Amino acid sequence: MMEEAVTKKYVHEESSSITSLCAAVEACLSQGIRRRVLGLFKSGSTTALLHKVAKNFEPAAVISQKVQDIENSDPNRPSSSSGESTNRSSLILSNSISVTKPPLQKKNSANSGLSSQPPRYLWIRLALFDKVLARIIDHLVQNSSKYYEKDSLIADEDYGSILSSLLVGPCALDFSRTKTQDHMWTDPPADELVQRHRISSGHSTLPACRTPHLNYRRSLHAVNSEENHRQIPISAKDYVESLHQNSRATLLYGKNNVLVSPKDMNEPMPGYLSLHQTAHSLTIKWTPNQLMNGYSESDGTDKSIYWEYALNVRVDDIVYVHCHQHGGDNGGTIVLVGQDGVQRPPIHFPAGGHLLAFLSCLENGLLPHGQLDPPLWSQRGKGKVFPKLRRKGRILSQKTEVPEEESSDYVFQIISKTRHEDFLSASKEFIDAKHWFSSSNKHVSPRARAHLISSSTNSSSSSCKSLSIEPGGNGMEPVSPPPSLSSDLNNEDCKLEIENTKSSPGETIQLVCETMKRQIISRAFYGWLAYCRHLCTVRTHLSGLVNAAIISGEGAENGLTTEKWAELMKDDGKDSQTEVFRLAYYGGVAHDIRKEVWPYLLGHYTFGSSAEEREQLDETTKHSYETTMSEWLAVGAIIRQRDKEIVAASLAKLSSESTSGEQPPPTPALAQELSNDVFEDNISLSDDDPPIVDDYEGENENENEGEGEDEQKKKKVVATKCPPNSLEKHSSSDNTEILQSSSTLPTLEKVVEIMNNKMDKRHSAPCGGNIGHLSVLTGNGAVPRSVSPDEGMGDEADIEDEEEDKSSDPSKQNGQSQDQNLITDNSQTITKPMSVVVTSNQSVDSGNHSETLNGGSLSQPIVEASENEVQENMLAVCTGDEDGEGGASGQRSACISPASSQGGVYSSELIETFGLNIHRIDKDVDRCDRNYWYFTPDNLEKLRNVMCTYVWEHLDVGYMQGMCDLVAPLLVIFDNESMTYACFCKLMDRMGANFPHSGGTMDTHFANMRSLIQILDSEMFELMHQNGDYTHFYFCYRWFLLDFKRELVYEDVFTVWETIWAAKLISSAHFMLFIALSLVETYRDIILSNVMDFTDIIKFFNEMAERHDCKAVLTLARDLVLQLQTLIENK
Amino acid sequence: MASRRKLLLKIIILGDSGVGKTALMNQYVNKKFSNQYKATIGADFLTKEVMVDNRIVTLQIWDTAGQERFQSLGVAFYRGADGCILVFDTTSMNSFASLDAWRDEFLIQSSPKNTENFPFVVLGNKIDLENRAVSTKRAQKWCQTKNNIPYFETSAKEAVNVEQAFETIAKSAIALEKEEIYNDFPGDIILDRDNKPNNGAACNC
Repeated sequence: MMEEAVTKKYVHEESSSITSLCAAVEACLSQGIRRRVLGLFKSGSTTALLHKVAKNFEPAAVISQKVQDIENSDPNRPSSSSGESTNRSSLILSNSISVTKPPLQKKNSANSGLSSQPPRYLWIRLALFDKVLARIIDHLVQNSSKYYEKDSLIADEDYGSILSSLLVGPCALDFSRTKTQDHMWTDPPADELVQRHRISSGHSTLPACRTPHLNYRRSLHAVNSEENHRQIPISAKDYVESLHQNSRATLLYGKNNVLVSPKDMNEPMPGYLSLHQTAHSLTIKWTPNQLMNGYSESDGTDKSIYWEYALNVRVDDIVYVHCHQHGGDNGGTIVLVGQDGVQRPPIHFPAGGHLLAFLSCLENGLLPHGQLDPPLWSQRGKGKVFPKLRRKGRILSQKTEVPEEESSDYVFQIISKTRHEDFLSASKEFIDAKHWFSSSNKHVSPRARAHLISSSTNSSSSSCKSLSIEPGGNGMEPVSPPPSLSSDLNNEDCKLEIENTKSSPGETIQLVCETMKRQIISRAFYGWLAYCRHLCTVRTHLSGLVNAAIISGEGAENGLTTEKWAELMKDDGKDSQTEVFRLAYYGGVAHDIRKEVWPYLLGHYTFGSSAEEREQLDETTKHSYETTMSEWLAVGAIIRQRDKEIVAASLAKLSSESTSGEQPPPTPALAQELSNDVFEDNISLSDDDPPIVDDYEGENENENEGEGEDEQKKKKVVATKCPPNSLEKHSSSDNTEILQSSSTLPTLEKVVEIMNNKMDKRHSAPCGGNIGHLSVLTGNGAVPRSVSPDEGMGDEADIEDEEEDKSSDPSKQNGQSQDQNLITDNSQTITKPMSVVVTSNQSVDSGNHSETLNGGSLSQPIVEASENEVQENMLAVCTGDEDGEGGASGQRSACISPASSQGGVYSSELIETFGLNIHRIDKDVDRCDRNYWYFTPDNLEKLRNVMCTYVWEHLDVGYMQGMCDLVAPLLVIFDNESMTYACFCKLMDRMGANFPHSGGTMDTHFANMRSLIQILDSEMFELMHQNGDYTHFYFCYRWFLLDFKRELVYEDVFTVWETIWAAKLISSAHFMLFIALSLVETYRDIILSNVMDFTDIIKFFNEMAERHDCKAVLTLARDLVLQLQTLIENK
Repeated sequence: MASRRKLLLKIIILGDSGVGKTALMNQYVNKKFSNQYKATIGADFLTKEVMVDNRIVTLQIWDTAGQERFQSLGVAFYRGADGCILVFDTTSMNSFASLDAWRDEFLIQSSPKNTENFPFVVLGNKIDLENRAVSTKRAQKWCQTKNNIPYFETSAKEAVNVEQAFETIAKSAIALEKEEIYNDFPGDIILDRDNKPNNGAACNC
């Protein structure tokens, strides 16, 4: 057993062992304990022992006090079942220790939840956390003879002392420290948190989003402020401790056996009166003796009732202090009157000048911010005395018919040198909230409390001031001067009345009463006024977020079923839009008909359109989709080609880096040529323009390969500049082509066929030419297009290998043609500095050349050739790439000459942009939902097509990560590229602006989230604000960007999406905000109880992704919308 | 005393999309590789406790979105970073070329105290693939020019050099931390803070 304790000591950090440690201690203690001792108590646990010890040993008494408090707090809740109450007590326990350390809480709750008994080892646990366990045990050991049999463990000299000393270790640990960074990262993962939450809370705390209503209501009534005191302190321990001098509050005054007559009690009760000063305020506390330590063991009866009697009065709330002296040495009575005019129970001081002492302490405590009016008089030698002028003894004596000259009553006003400076400096963010709180002095919520600290005032005058100041500070708010004026007047009245008391004390009481009455009314009015203003702000902030009209969800629980859909669409759904949306919003859409319904929800189809119209629309959509697709496929092919070149180039570089040594760099001009040659050689494709290839690598590295071979080629190139040579070259290149064509004949035929089709299409329906100057030339573009990536990839690879050896000639030819071009065609072609133009006669010739060779089988190329002629005069840019492409296509289908490929005239910029986009798309499409059954390679290709088409049409926006995630669910539903594309476009009308650099809607979302949380769950807002302020809501980023696509499983995504779409018409165009809010609220208790900060919450939600209860979340979201709608409607 | 307390280091992983940031992070923390990762949206992080120089250090490793367009979010996530891992794909020259931009952007957004000596480490990932495009020499050269950033060639798939790389960044982050402690001379304050709770506890008993 000892060893166990020892080991526990070392693993204590994992607080799961705390329970076992406690068990060990319990076992140690209970062994050999005297029956006699236990027999006195009903329970058989060592708790009884504790109570016994408590009589003689102070720390034990404190602990036993706490234990009782906790145990007693249970029966207070009659409604809760026993299981719940134990849960509660364990919660209270963990609260009282202010431990947010989750494992502990778990152990407690798990323990109690399972056994349905009060948490075991409660006192040991408490003592441990209070670090007095060791001392108690020590005490036990020392007095072992009294409690234990002789042969017990504790009584044993050695073991006993060892045990107590062992426990010193754990006790020294600060268990009650709040969550530190150390703990943060050993926190359990999200699912454990959720699990734990389920265990620990059969009852969930009422989400504060509901409480504001209650609070408003309450503030409207001038509720007896005694309710304040009835709030049983969350932690009894804290409360008792707070009565002592501690670091937070200075004890200014303390007196025991002060009598107070609580409202429902006939007899005055004795108790401990204390005056505490904290940084912010003065507090007067009175605790019935029953709650104080000495009485704790008296009996097991319900103590909680005493908590209701305990007083806890903030001096800030007190305006008047009425003193009634009973003359001579009989003590006196003090009645505190609050700002709301409500009297606190009278406090009777025992004889002996304690009243005066208390008042002087109070006066001291008020300084420097406030004072008692009238001030106590200082008399030399005697200390403070009551001011003589303010004597009003006659009133009392008249009433009581006791002509006691000495007895005197005083009314002191507590005046603060107002704190409006503090008040103003308080953050303006909360100004509307403060509005309300400052005038209603109810402590309604933690947040209100927080504000009151800064904004509540010491006296009515200051409160009036703060009110009158506030509208000014608020600026934008419509200021209503009368209230503030009247409040000032009101205040004046008060003062006047006090003045009056001097002359006519008889009327004074009456006047004071009237003043109070008036004050009560004015408070109520301010409360109401502030409440209105508050709601006004809410309105302006949030009214834009929800639709004004509330459409009920009656009968819509089952959503849009197949039958209902059929019914509604009888006459093409002319009038059924609202109904469809309503059903979809409240109950979702049956999966089978999603395919039909979604286009309506997204606005692709309009309600009332006929079947033919829709068919037509489909046709058009499909057609334009295909057109666009063929456009970008062409460019895509070019890009693919260039990629290969780059790969090859970098391979070359790598090899050059590894093989070549340091060689003297050739002259710049030569280097240029050489670098080109290098590419051509290694890539075996004719490329004159290596723009992509590597801006990082200096020419030098290329030059490293400037070996003899290159030099040779250089010479060759120069040599081939004369026409005869060029002819020769032609023939050689033709030979190559023929060779190739023979090897790839089947593919060739296929390609030609496809090409013809495409050409036909192009002629019948010339595309809308998104890329201005392209439209004319698309005919040419069709060639590379037709060589679509799907066809003969394998062939391509084969060919390439062949090419490696053979194509040096054509490439040189190209180099030559380039040269010639530069020399001869300067007038026709414009050369950009980077890209060299190769739309030269030479190359066209070569095209014609090949055509004649293959002319028999193809009529098309002739057209192309003629177009090529036209094209020559066009601004041909970056045809180097085209040339390269031509090389590729030429290799595959010899008949389609390199020349024909030059038809596609795209600016290099365009190609580069699209290339970049396509690379990104490829990367993300590959990674998109690979584990979802739908996304086979074929379907991923579809996804890619849709994505590329969209990006091609929106090149200014470009591809952004996340778009794939938005397309994917649409594609899953439609399984049709063109429909997916059309609906995606519709979707992007709204979602597009969420993406960075394209609208800034995201920031608006965040701002709205902020307002919503602030209004609907102030407690949560407070937490977010105080824990490193993550009210920027970046943790919601992915939610909004993808409409929760990553947060939910596919089936739920469908539901959530259609709900969002439908909500636009039914409840709110910003429904995603409410889903987000609902997600936060769903885990509200977990977030609050674990005091999550930004990183915690990110981690939590990332881990919870795809594990949410979508139905519950949606229901809550709809409720939240309704709540806001109601709030706005009610003004 | 100060050096004994538990340390939390925030490490940011940056690099072009698809270079394997998420995979690296998961390989290091969870010791497993999956080819099922999706493109990261927003940011995620994992934590891992390690012993470095006889100290328990908690590494909080942040994985970010690769597309540079999402860098505007960076500020929220980069803030308070203690180290930065730059990743490129050895089969993609472009991803290597972006390192400069990533490094600069990071320094601007996180605005660390010590820009010169801020702990970086460069990882050339995916060395398990055949089609290599960036040579070791090139990468090393670049790292040398940037104040001798340590360079590792890694494979998240085959767990090559991953552990070492993260260890290195942790070490240099700690080293910087120490340096800053000396420079800022906060020793007294820390001692003070440590003593206080004890006193308070004594009073309460």
